[in-house]
Amino acid sequence: MTLQMQWSLLLPVLLPVAAMVLVLVVDAVAPRARLAAPVIGAFGLVGGAVTALPGLVATGPRLTLCTPAPDGRCLWDGGPLASTLQVAALLATLAVLALMSIRRAGVIEVVLLLASASGAAAVVASRDLGTWLITLELATLPVIALVAWRDRRAAAHGALTLLTTSLVSFGLLVLGTALWVTATGDPTLTGQSLAAAWEAPETRTLAGLATVVLLAGLAFKLSAVPFHAWTPTTLTSGPLPVSALLASASKLAAVGALVVVLAPYDAVVGGRPGPHVVVSALVVLTVASMLVGTVMALRQSEVVRLLAWSTVAQAGWILLPLTALTVAGRQAAAAYALVYAVASLVAFAAVRAVHGWRVEDGRELTAYRGLLRRDPVAGGTLALALLVLAGLPPGVIGLVAKVVALRPAVAAGLWPVALVAVVAAVLGIAVYVRWFAVLFGEPEAGAPARPRSRRASLAVAVVGAAVLVVTSVLPQLLVGLVS
Amino acid sequence: MNGALWVAHLLVGIPVLASVLTLALRRTPALAALVATGAGLVSVVVSFVGMAVAPTRGVNLLQLREPLRVGSIEMPFELGSGPSTVAVAAVVAVVAAAVLVFTRWYLADDDRLAQFAATVLLFTAAMMLVVHARDLVLTLVGWEVMGWCSYLLIGHWSRKESARRAAHKAFLVTRVADIAFVLGIVILAAGAGSTGLDAVVAHWSEGGVEPWVRSLALAFVVIGVLGKSAQFPFQDWLPDAMEGPTPASALIHAATMVAAGTVVLAQLFEVLVVADGARWLLGLATAVTMVGAAVLALGQSDLKRLLAWSTVSQVAIMLSALATTTKELGPDPALFHLWSHAVFKSLLFLTIGWLSVVAGSTLAVALRGSANVHQLARVAWLFGLLALAGAPFVVGGLSKEHVITTAYEGAIGAGGPGVIVLAALLVTVVLTAAYATRAHLVVAAALPDGESLDDEARMPSAPVIVALAVLTVVTVVGGLVLLTGLFDIHGVSPWWMLLTVVLILIGGGTVWSARSRTTDGDPRDAFVRTPRQRALADGGLGFDTAYRRVVVTPVLGLARVVAFLDREVVDGYVRGAAASAGIAGWLTERGHRREAASGGVALVALGLLVAAGTAVLAWR
Repeated sequence: MTLQMQWSLLLPVLLPVAAMVLVLVVDAVAPRARLAAPVIGAFGLVGGAVTALPGLVATGPRLTLCTPAPDGRCLWDGGPLASTLQVAALLATLAVLALMSIRRAGVIEVVLLLASASGAAAVVASRDLGTWLITLELATLPVIALVAWRDRRAAAHGALTLLTTSLVSFGLLVLGTALWVTATGDPTLTGQSLAAAWEAPETRTLAGLATVVLLAGLAFKLSAVPFHAWTPTTLTSGPLPVSALLASASKLAAVGALVVVLAPYDAVVGGRPGPHVVVSALVVLTVASMLVGTVMALRQSEVVRLLAWSTVAQAGWILLPLTALTVAGRQAAAAYALVYAVASLVAFAAVRAVHGWRVEDGRELTAYRGLLRRDPVAGGTLALALLVLAGLPPGVIGLVAKVVALRPAVAAGLWPVALVAVVAAVLGIAVYVRWFAVLFGEPEAGAPARPRSRRASLAVAVVGAAVLVVTSVLPQLLVGLVS
Repeated sequence: MNGALWVAHLLVGIPVLASVLTLALRRTPALAALVATGAGLVSVVVSFVGMAVAPTRGVNLLQLREPLRVGSIEMPFELGSGPSTVAVAAVVAVVAAAVLVFTRWYLADDDRLAQFAATVLLFTAAMMLVVHARDLVLTLVGWEVMGWCSYLLIGHWSRKESARRAAHKAFLVTRVADIAFVLGIVILAAGAGSTGLDAVVAHWSEGGVEPWVRSLALAFVVIGVLGKSAQFPFQDWLPDAMEGPTPASALIHAATMVAAGTVVLAQLFEVLVVADGARWLLGLATAVTMVGAAVLALGQSDLKRLLAWSTVSQVAIMLSALATTTKELGPDPALFHLWSHAVFKSLLFLTIGWLSVVAGSTLAVALRGSANVHQLARVAWLFGLLALAGAPFVVGGLSKEHVITTAYEGAIGAGGPGVIVLAALLVTVVLTAAYATRAHLVVAAALPDGESLDDEARMPSAPVIVALAVLTVVTVVGGLVLLTGLFDIHGVSPWWMLLTVVLILIGGGTVWSARSRTTDGDPRDAFVRTPRQRALADGGLGFDTAYRRVVVTPVLGLARVVAFLDREVVDGYVRGAAASAGIAGWLTERGHRREAASGGVALVALGLLVAAGTAVLAWR
C-alpha cells in the first residue's frame, strides 16, 4: 500500500520530534552544554507552531497520508480547527518550559515535554484510530514521568494516581477502539462508515457502545466527573509547571481527541434513530463535571487545589457545546478550551511568580491578601485570569466563550443542560470572586517574600494576560479563529 | 453661521462659562459676584444685539449639519431663533442682570455669595437653552438643570430647616410632574422619529396622527408644565419656595423656572392647538389655579407669599392664553404676558427685598409703611402693583388685555375651554385688583407720628437703585415693545378695555372701602376674619397635608412593601441558593475525603458502572 504524503502538513509534529532527537544527540555529544536542551526544545516548539500557522487561514482541504483512490481515506487532516489546537498546544508547552525556568529544565524534562507536545499536536490532526490512540498516549504518558520526576513523596503519590487512571483510561480506549472497528469495519474515523454501521441495529448498538467507552476513556484525560479523582491529587502534588501543563496543553490534546472522535457523528445526528446514547453520555459528563467541580472549588482554600477543581468544572463547560454533536459545537468547544488554557496558564504563572519554584506549602488564599498592592504585575494578571475564568467583564473573552459554548447546546434544544450551565456559571462567579476579592485590601505582615528568579513566570503571565486583553477587546478574533 | 444664531449660542454659552468662572473664584466672593454681574450685563448687551438682528417672521433659521443618529431617532441638537424668541431672551437677560446686581448688595455678607451667583448664572443659561432649543432633548436638559438650580437656590440658606424642606418640596413636586413631561417628550420624539422641534411639530400637527395619541402626548407635556409652573394641583411648592433669598425668588418667578412651561408650550403650539384633550386639561387647571391663587394671595399675612401666589395666578393667565388661543392668534399673547410679567414681577420682588431689609421681615405687619424709606421704593411698588392689577397702558395691563381678548376669541371662535377660562379671567381681574390694592395700602401707609425710616445703612447701593429705576421705567413704558413687531399681536377691543377697568375699580374699591372697617389698617382682616381662616390661607388651604396624605404616605408604604419583598422574599432565594451550594459542597467533599492512589479506583469503578449502565441501556 502506498500513502500519498505531504510533508509540510506533518511539520508541526515532526519539528518537535526532530528537536527531541537533537536534544538527545547534543546531550550525548556535549553533556556539559546545559542550556542547549531548553533552547533547542523552545526552537522545536516555536518551529512547530509556525509551520501550523498556514492552517489557521486555509480555506481548501489540508488532507494528507491518503490511501489511493477510489475509496481513499486520509489519515491526517491539518484543517483550521486542528491547526489552531496544534498552535495552542505547542505554545502552551513552550509557556510551561518557560515556567520550569530555562536553567533548571534538564534534558529529561525537555525531552518529555517535547514528546508530550508532539503527541498533542498529532492527536488533534489524526483521522484513524491507530494514530489517534498512539499519539493520545504519547501526549499523556510523558506527563506522568514529569510529575514523578521529583524526589518528593507526594509527587510520587500523585504520579501513581495519574498512572493508575491513565492505565484504566488506556484500557477503555483500546476497548473502545476495538468495538469501533468491529462495528464499522473501518479503522478510520469517517462519517460514511459510521453512517453505514448506524443502518443496522446490531452495529448501531455496537457503535454507540464503542463511542461511550471511548468517551469514558477520554473523560479521564479531560478530568470530567466521575473520572476526575486524580486531578486534585496530581495537580497539587506535582511541580507547579507540570500542573500548568496538565491544565493547558493536555487539556487541549484531550479536546482535540474528543473532537476527532465525535466528528463522524455529523453523518448520523439528524437521522432516525439519532445518537441518543452518545448525547446522554455527554450530558451526564457535562452536568456532573460542572456541578461537582464548582461546588468543590467553592470549598477550597488552597489555591492550586482550587484551580484543580476549577479544571474539573471547566471540563464540563468544554463538553457542553459538544452535546449538540454539530460542527458549531466542536468549534465552540475548541474555542472554550483555548480561552480556558490561556487563562489557567496565566493563573498558574502568577501563582508560580508569587511562590517561587519549590514552595508547596502556604499556598492558602490568605497569602494573596493585598497582592494587587504589593505585587501589581502578578496580582493584576491573576485578577484578569480569574475574571476571565468567571466570565465577568472586563474579562470579556471569558463571557464570550461561555456564550459561544451555550449557543450550540441551546440550538440543539438541550435546554435543561443550558439551565444547569447557567447555575454553574453563577456558582462559578462565587468561586473566582472569592479569590479575586482577596487580592484587594491591605497586605498582611506575614505575606510570603517575593521569590528572586521569576522573570520567566512573569513573562508568561504578562504575555498570556495580553492575549486575554486583546481578545477581550476584539472577541471576533477568537470566534473567527475556530469558525 | 447667521448673526441671530451666534447670539443664541452666546446667550447660552456666556452664562455657563461665567458660572464656572464664578465658582472657581469662590474664595474671593466679592470678585466672583463682580464677574457674575459683568457676565449678566454682557448677556443683556448681546440680547439687545439679538433683537436688532432678529430674523423676520416665518424665516427658518437652522444650522446645516448632519443630525446625530441614535438608533432610529435623529437628534439634530440645534439652537434656533425667532422674533418672539429674541424678545423673551432679552427679558430673561435683563431680569438676570438685575437680579445679579441686586444680589451683590443683598447677599454682600453671605459666605456663599459666589456659589449663589454661579447658580443664578447656570439657571439663566438653562432658561436660555429652553428658550432657544430647537431640539426636545436640549429642552429637557435645560428643564432639568433648572429644576436642580431651583433646588440649590431655594435651599441656599441650608442652615434653616424650613429652607431645606422647601427646597426638597420644590424638587420632589416638580420631579413628580417631570415624569409626565419626559414621557410626553419620549412619545413626541418616538412618533416623529426625531427630537428636532420642527420635525416633531410637522409630524404631530398633520392630519394623519391619531387624535387621542396626540392629546395624550401633549397632556403629558402639559402635566410637566403644570408642575414646573406651580399650577393646580402642584401649586403648593411655590409659596414655600419663599424660604429662599429674595433675588432667587425674583429669578424663579419672573424670568425662568415658572415661565419655562409657557415657552415650551409655545414652541409646541401648532400641535397643542389641535390637541383638544390637552387644551381642556390646561384650560381647566389654569382656570382653577388663577382664581384660587388670587383668593389665597388676598389672604396672606406675609407679603412675599402674597407675591408668590400672585405669580401662580399670573402664570395661570399666561398658560390660559395658550389653552384658548386659535390658530390665527398664535401663541404670542401668552409670550407677551410672560414678557410683561417678567418685568413687573422682578421689580416687585426686588422692591420687597429692599423693603424687607428695611423692616427686618416680610410680614405685612412689619412692612407697614416701609415704602416711606425712599421715594423710588414707593414709585416702584406702586407701578409694579398697577401692572400686576392690569391697569391700562402699563405693561401688565396691555398684556392682560390681550389674554382676555384671546380667550374671548377662543370662546366664540373655536371649541375648547374658552368660556370657562374667560369667566375665570374676569373673576381674577377683580381679585388681582383687590390684593394689589391691599399690598399697596399696607406698604405705602403713612407712618405713625414720630417714627422715621431714614437709615443710611439700609440704603441699597447705587447700581441697585439704577436697576430698580430701569425696571420701573420698563414697567411703565414696556408696552412699547409691541412697536418693534417682535410679538405677533392683534388689536384689542376698547369695550373689553372698558369692562376690565370697571372690574379693576370694583376690586380695588372694595378693598379700599374695607380698610376703614379694620383696626390696624390691613384690609385683609375684613375678608379673613378668624385666626383659623388666616391659618388656612397662609397654609395654602392645607395642600401640604394633602400631598403628604395622598402621595407621600402611600408611596412610602409601597416602598416599605417593596423593601420587605426584596429583603425577605427575593433575598431568601439568594440566601437559599448560597446555603444549598454550601451543603452540596460539604456533601461532595465528604465523597472525596480519601485521596489515595487506590481511592481513585473506587471512583473509576463508579465511572465504569455508569459507562456499562449506559451501554446496557443502549442494548435494546
